Amino acid sequence: MAYAYLFKYIIIGDTGVGKSCLLLQFTDKRFQPVHDLTIGVEFGARMITIDGKQIKLQIWDTAGQEAFRSITRSYYRGAAGALLVYDITRRETFNHLTTWLEDARQHSNSNMVIMLIGNKSDLESRREVKKEEGEAFAREHGLVFMETSAKTAANVEEAFINTAKEIYEKIQEGVFDINNEANGIKIGPQHSTAGAGGAGGAGAGGAPPGGCC
Amino acid sequence: MFRSRSWFGGGWGRPKNPHSLERLKYLHNILCKNTTVSESNRGILVESLRCIAEILIWGDQNDSSVFDFFLEKNMLSYFLRIMRQKCGGSSYVCVQLLQTLNILFENIRNETSLYYLLSNNHVNSIIVHKFDISDEEVMAYYISFLKTLSLKLNNHTIHFFYNEHTKDFPLYTEAIKFFNHPETMVRIAVRTLTLNVYRVQDASMLRFIRDRTAAPYFSNLVWFIGKHILELNACVRNDADHQSQQKLDDLVAEHLDHLHYINDILCLNIPDLNDVLTEHLLHKLLIPLYIYSLTSESSKRPATSSPYNRDHIQSIEVITRNLEAILTGKSTDTPSRINYPLQRIESDDETKPSVSCVVSLFLLSQVFLIITHGPIVHALAWIILQSDLSVFEDGATKILDMYVSNAKSNVKLEFSKPQLSLEKALENTSCPDRDYTTPEYSGAKAFGYDTDQSSCDLDPELVSTSLPSTSHISESSSVAHDSTEDLVTQIQPVKSDSSVTLSKANMPDSPLPDSGVESGSSKVSELNNITDEEKQKLLGNKPGVNAERVATTIEHILENETRNIETRPFLKTILDSLDCSENDYKALFALCLLFALINNKGVNPELLDTLLLSEIEDESKSNASLSNKANVNSDETPDSSHERSSSNGKRKIESFNALLISKLMAIAVLSCKPASKVRLVTCELSVRLLRTCMQGASARHRASVDNLRARSAALARNFYKCDDIFLDMFEDEYCEMSKRPLNVEWLCMDAAILLPPTRTPMSGIAFEKRLPSGEMERARRAIRTFFLIRELSLKLSGKPETLLPLANPAPFVQVADILDLNDSDLISCDIIQKDGTWQHRFLAVDNIQVILVEPDKQRLGWGVAKLVGSLQDLEIQGDKDDPRCLHLTIHKPRVGASASLPRTVLLRAKFKFDDHIRSMAAKQRLTKGRTKSRQKKMQQIGRLLEVSGVSAPAPAARHRPLFARPALAAVRRHSGIDGDEPERRLRRPSGHVLKDGIVVYRERTTSRESISRSSSAHASREGSPRARSEDIPLEDIRRNPGIAAAVPSTSSSSRVPQVRVTPSTSQHPKLKSTSSEETSFISSEPRVKRKGIVETI
Repeated sequence: MAYAYLFKYIIIGDTGVGKSCLLLQFTDKRFQPVHDLTIGVEFGARMITIDGKQIKLQIWDTAGQEAFRSITRSYYRGAAGALLVYDITRRETFNHLTTWLEDARQHSNSNMVIMLIGNKSDLESRREVKKEEGEAFAREHGLVFMETSAKTAANVEEAFINTAKEIYEKIQEGVFDINNEANGIKIGPQHSTAGAGGAGGAGAGGAPPGGCC
Repeated sequence: MFRSRSWFGGGWGRPKNPHSLERLKYLHNILCKNTTVSESNRGILVESLRCIAEILIWGDQNDSSVFDFFLEKNMLSYFLRIMRQKCGGSSYVCVQLLQTLNILFENIRNETSLYYLLSNNHVNSIIVHKFDISDEEVMAYYISFLKTLSLKLNNHTIHFFYNEHTKDFPLYTEAIKFFNHPETMVRIAVRTLTLNVYRVQDASMLRFIRDRTAAPYFSNLVWFIGKHILELNACVRNDADHQSQQKLDDLVAEHLDHLHYINDILCLNIPDLNDVLTEHLLHKLLIPLYIYSLTSESSKRPATSSPYNRDHIQSIEVITRNLEAILTGKSTDTPSRINYPLQRIESDDETKPSVSCVVSLFLLSQVFLIITHGPIVHALAWIILQSDLSVFEDGATKILDMYVSNAKSNVKLEFSKPQLSLEKALENTSCPDRDYTTPEYSGAKAFGYDTDQSSCDLDPELVSTSLPSTSHISESSSVAHDSTEDLVTQIQPVKSDSSVTLSKANMPDSPLPDSGVESGSSKVSELNNITDEEKQKLLGNKPGVNAERVATTIEHILENETRNIETRPFLKTILDSLDCSENDYKALFALCLLFALINNKGVNPELLDTLLLSEIEDESKSNASLSNKANVNSDETPDSSHERSSSNGKRKIESFNALLISKLMAIAVLSCKPASKVRLVTCELSVRLLRTCMQGASARHRASVDNLRARSAALARNFYKCDDIFLDMFEDEYCEMSKRPLNVEWLCMDAAILLPPTRTPMSGIAFEKRLPSGEMERARRAIRTFFLIRELSLKLSGKPETLLPLANPAPFVQVADILDLNDSDLISCDIIQKDGTWQHRFLAVDNIQVILVEPDKQRLGWGVAKLVGSLQDLEIQGDKDDPRCLHLTIHKPRVGASASLPRTVLLRAKFKFDDHIRSMAAKQRLTKGRTKSRQKKMQQIGRLLEVSGVSAPAPAARHRPLFARPALAAVRRHSGIDGDEPERRLRRPSGHVLKDGIVVYRERTTSRESISRSSSAHASREGSPRARSEDIPLEDIRRNPGIAAAVPSTSSSSRVPQVRVTPSTSQHPKLKSTSSEETSFISSEPRVKRKGIVETI
């Protein structure tokens, strides 16, 4: 359970794009994707390893709270990473990205890493948004882009881990003030800034929901 | 740790299909067999719990029998049993349990299933279970569980969580215990949950919330906001060097979060809840901390002219005390309070918590920017604007009396720690034998609802035996605690010997108006209409006012207001803060506050007359109503205002409009000085406020603003040079300004402004929010100041902006236009782009544009424009290796606000010509064209800045026709591009031909004269520059007299006085003749002229 860093993520995007499914898919691999089951969760945590360090990811879904400005505001501010999700089979979810992004940029701290995700890539036949469009949007706004499928688990791992890698790099570059927990980054319990390397280790699989890593 | 799979591996007879009723039965069997959690069966239990979630959701979506079995076997009770075991490593199991529950409640779609799940009280038992919340992971899952449940709340499900009979609502009461949890996400979840609860429209539940929890919750909330503010204040005080800006950012953001949260609650519009919240906010935070901090500094300053000079300091004390008396209202009726058995310490300013004036102004601005709930903002505005020493000394009791009848409040006016920790308070409320019938509650019930007696008036012995989760609550400064009491006791004597002079009618703008939001807002809009109409009328009546009389009155009024302001300590602090002579640190916040206050929808507009109502207008109004009083305003005293109000039935609001305007003007004047310490943002804000305050826009205001404009032009003129950078800077600044008009709300989110103003750009602070560093930035600042003040001047005089943005002589030729190029000067070239693509084009140049054309396939001698760029935005470079080549970069022109700062490149390519002579010709033509088009713009700027000598053509002259146009028939081929194209084309007098390297003007409508000119130009060989240069002025001259006479543009009208001052007698004709040669001499001219103009100012 010990970790070097804890990163807090939020997942944003229109309702029905599969945010909570992505979240569950990533945080708990024991729930294997099955054809006749749609299942998701609003919160999850999981341990990953980057650069030999244990990093805990805590992911908070912000669904259902859009009505309150104070809530969205604070969520953005408290996160180190955000997954901005749209549904490749529904054009309108793609069209709303600009609004989401504006919101995120306005409220978050400037270092927050945002990853754009086109979900439901398994539904190729019903695709309404081309991959190239997603790529172009990401390029234009300086985001990392990926198409995923919570159904087949394709790219789900990568989406979360690549985001974490980028945050980790920013920490190494000294961009993030890691002593300030308001950034959505926390230093692990045994992890002092001096002895950066040693923490963690045996933590993998410790947290039950993340048991398979 | 056990891997769950291994437990299932060896033949337990597990059904193969993971999603089936059989599988659930099998899992049920496992739960039955493992009722005690132990080291050995933990793994299998966790995996079973996980699988149960999966199967149930599958069942919910596919097979209802699964859910029936789950309910039938009452499997939730197993969950509880497992949870309650104190077994080593139980967090491991608990986390799984909570995850299962989260999944369950998150994914269930079938409403009946949900009801069944909630129907026995298991979920509530799980909620109240004492999880090990010191475990980060358990805490996160637990709070997510509570939040997930709150998202399921509605009119039906609420009854599963809130028990009306036992007055029990564990979901809510358990959650709010974590309102101040150190983990951000937990705090956010709690806020989400509370909001989700409040918005369920269930009267009984809301009554419970109000009666049992509102007071303790809100008092604690408010107390922690206050503590937060003190921290913020300390941070500002200790950081003059911008070292901990990030921490400050967070503290400011946190305060905003709090305000937004409070606003979200208020916006749910639950009257009872809003009343309690309003009281706590006002009496426990906004007045005793924010407003009080405005007084503390002025009280220390010796007041010289105040009528209350003798004990000014004491007067402030009196105010604060009286304020409390007014706002608490009821306190006389509860003598038990005065006999409070606590130790008392003498009150003095030092012991009361307060923040610096800067912080207080900043925070109040945020309050007014975010919160629009009438009762709060109106009361606050009333105190700031109206609270007045004489009123307090004379009329406290009367006001009190008035308020006693409808007073709602029992909340003491003091920023103090809630005397009971939230947890304790909640414990008390949920205690079953304590309810409405106990005496403690009955007293308050008479006033409509309960107050925070439970938290504030309880026996001090009860005070806080804090529990772990709320341990912060108890640690508070004893200072704040102690001063809670002494104030109350000291109020008594003050109240008893105060006399009564005020009538009830004097209080229409009372601190606590009707709290019904709807009625309030409708009233507000009504009032808005009335005042607007009145002002319009007044405007109409005004012209007759004699200018001289106005001047004397103004002096009187100013004098008067300066005297009267002494009686408004809070407003005085704000207005005093506007003084920028040293720096504009404080002034910026005072401006923000005034702006926010004036623009807040919840503030009664009548109250704003204190700031906005011009005394002169007011005079005409009062003259109309009270004809017997000749000079009401000049000899008005506080007493006369009373008198008048009684005769009027409506209280006359004493206005400080003139004083405010004079302060704002002082800022604007200061910012027009070269070495001023006024930041752009301060200037912009004061200019914007000036516009609001000068609503009447009297001649006097217009004159002073025009004078201001002249000053700002003079400032900008210092930087007017003919180098390229000035023009680019000028246009950039204009774009920048129009693109991003000041947003005060965003400004007040920026913690950086809380630190003393800095100069260095290395601080990372935006240019507008710091002082200029270096000559370049000083020039930018001067230009921007000029724009701001020019805009104000135009707005006040009601004139439209005609000169800005600097008009690019309208780009007549556009891409895909078809041009008649017969006999034009074309240079054939190959355009080689970086990626190797290659095109053959003809290069044509007119006086503002560079055009690349391709021959039209259908008509010989005609060409299609493939690319059009303005010469102004052209970069030309020769090629070192190949004399036949040129490197050209064509930027996209800035168009008003739409242009972005990093300029878009239209084309960057190598142009290869047939030989080096053509190449040189092209280079020369482009370079000259560029210089000239830029000179044109510089002239426009010169005119704007009133650089003497640069006067000539009126704006309209710029719109000159260019190329020959094909007949409409030919044009139509591409006219689909844009709808109004044909119309535009028709308006345009065309008839220009590119000829032999000469751009010739040949208007169809022009006289023979110009045609003859064109033929003479045609004769010159390589003379395009001169031919053009002569051509332009010709046209100018032709047009100028008519325009100058017909259109008195701002620049020409303001130019007139200068002409008079300049010794040169024949200024006008001379200007015109120079303008005809201007193209060749312009570079030396402005400097010479600048000298001249400086002398005239």
